[in-house]
Amino acid sequence: MGKYLEVTRIYMKSQLAWRADVVFNMIFTISKILFAYLLWSMVYEGKEMVGQLSFHAMLSYYIISSFLAQLEKSGGISSEIHERIRNGTFSKYMVIPVQIQKYFMAMELGVVLFYAAFDFIAAVIWIFVFRIRFVFAADIRLVVCAVIMAMFGMIFMVQLNYFLGLLTLKYQGIGTFLMVKNHLEALVTGSIVPLMLFPEIIVKMMQLLPFYYVTYLPSMLLIGMCGEEAMTGIMAIACWCLIMQLLIRAVGQKYFRKYDGVGI
Amino acid sequence: MNDVVINTGSLVKQYRRYKKKEGVWGSIVSLWKRDYETKNAVNHIDLSVEKGEFVGLIGPNGAGKTTLIKMLTGIIAPTEGSIDVMGYYPNDLKNEFKKQYAIVMGQKSQLFFELTVNDTLHLFQAIYEIPEAEFRKNKNYFVELFGVRDLMDVQVRALSLGERMKMELIVSLIHNPKVLFLDEPTIGLDAVASRQIRRFLKEINEKNGTTILLTSHYMEDIKALCKRTVVINHGSKIYDGMTEGLFEKYQKNKRLIVTFREPQADITLMTKDAVVIENDSCKKVYEVPKESARDLVSEIMSYEPKDIAVEDEEIGVIVERIYQERGE
Repeated sequence: MGKYLEVTRIYMKSQLAWRADVVFNMIFTISKILFAYLLWSMVYEGKEMVGQLSFHAMLSYYIISSFLAQLEKSGGISSEIHERIRNGTFSKYMVIPVQIQKYFMAMELGVVLFYAAFDFIAAVIWIFVFRIRFVFAADIRLVVCAVIMAMFGMIFMVQLNYFLGLLTLKYQGIGTFLMVKNHLEALVTGSIVPLMLFPEIIVKMMQLLPFYYVTYLPSMLLIGMCGEEAMTGIMAIACWCLIMQLLIRAVGQKYFRKYDGVGI
Repeated sequence: MNDVVINTGSLVKQYRRYKKKEGVWGSIVSLWKRDYETKNAVNHIDLSVEKGEFVGLIGPNGAGKTTLIKMLTGIIAPTEGSIDVMGYYPNDLKNEFKKQYAIVMGQKSQLFFELTVNDTLHLFQAIYEIPEAEFRKNKNYFVELFGVRDLMDVQVRALSLGERMKMELIVSLIHNPKVLFLDEPTIGLDAVASRQIRRFLKEINEKNGTTILLTSHYMEDIKALCKRTVVINHGSKIYDGMTEGLFEKYQKNKRLIVTFREPQADITLMTKDAVVIENDSCKKVYEVPKESARDLVSEIMSYEPKDIAVEDEEIGVIVERIYQERGE
């Protein structure tokens, strides 16, 4: 376990080498909230509620979902694996005594912990700047469920990106897979439009996808909504994690053996 | 028998690759009809390496050296044959196995470019679970040996190629591996850096008893370090024996590269059997039987050259002679 904590620490530290990335990440969080403020100010003009949400609840949702979405940095895992396999340097991870997937999980944790602090500061600043009456769940059980769900969600995203990276062992490019994933993620995580504004049948369909539980549902739980979905949501995303792990195991082993014709 | 750390029996690695006809039509046809061929990258190799040996693995490009090392380190699985490295089947990729060896590839870095070497060493301390006292002892030993104390807090990306290679070796040796695999460790390095690396490797082998398997295109590396050399060509072992014997028997010529400050007219050589390979006004290249090399150097010195470099024959020539002797 200690070795993975050190990996986390090292990757947290390595983020400091790229100061511009930190600044732009903060700017991105801030600009997302700013645009949301402007957009929803117009939408709410003369209205009290839109899709069961007040203006301040909507902005609270945006601040939380932006914060969670900004923490999700696992996209770098698929590109790291893809590039290393293509460059023939993936063996770097194979010859050291670590379990490669755990190594990437620890790496992701290091990056997340680093950005969490800065994104949290950015979010809090905006709450004060726009004098948002921040809506937060009063029921502690919902908060706990949201945190657990968000953690499972991040684990799932790491698994998914690790899996997509491994597809490089079989396919020349994984760009199409990543594009599909990114589009689904952008829509179903509700980071563009809250899913509750969609027709019910669409929301029901989205509930079948894991992305629903990555940002959207935890954000809703944190503003005290969708409480009835809390437990089923945790179970659903946990099941998705399990399915993805089985997929990684089955496909990873097979492709590693198949691909060895080219330098890895 | 207990001292054998690497043992392979009739080891084979086959790659399957498809052949595509040229042109766009060929590419379209290959979408549904592909002709595959099987290539033997490693072909029934028997290899046994004892503890503490320093073995050179040489051969032309595409001979199968790197594939063999990849199988020995578990990066790829053999197609057939037996393989045993320190009692393990490498491709099981067991952590206990990986803790006992290290691999340094000249063109593939294990370092983290954003971090300092000290940070990377701490990461490796955790990964290899090295006790603090042992870590400090090893670190101090290698830092002194390589003379890099001033560079330990410098970001890796700011290091020169030679400095980086020293750091690669320190990082790979920090856990006291029993076996060290080196794949072209001196590639791209200048003569001074290569000499230093060779000296360190010799000391590590002699003092720590580390078994080392080295592949290199530079005959100088092999001659200076390896008592035993294995020559591989087209995936098959064609020589396995003393390095001295190999070069004594199959290396017939030396190559002299002479540069002049001022343009020179054609030089008529008196040295027996010296052949002109390249004849520019300021640079001339000669090939001469190795026993006459000293005479040729003496003769050339009378023309006051700017520089003279004496090189060994390339591995391809040696391989060719081995085949000639075997009548193939």
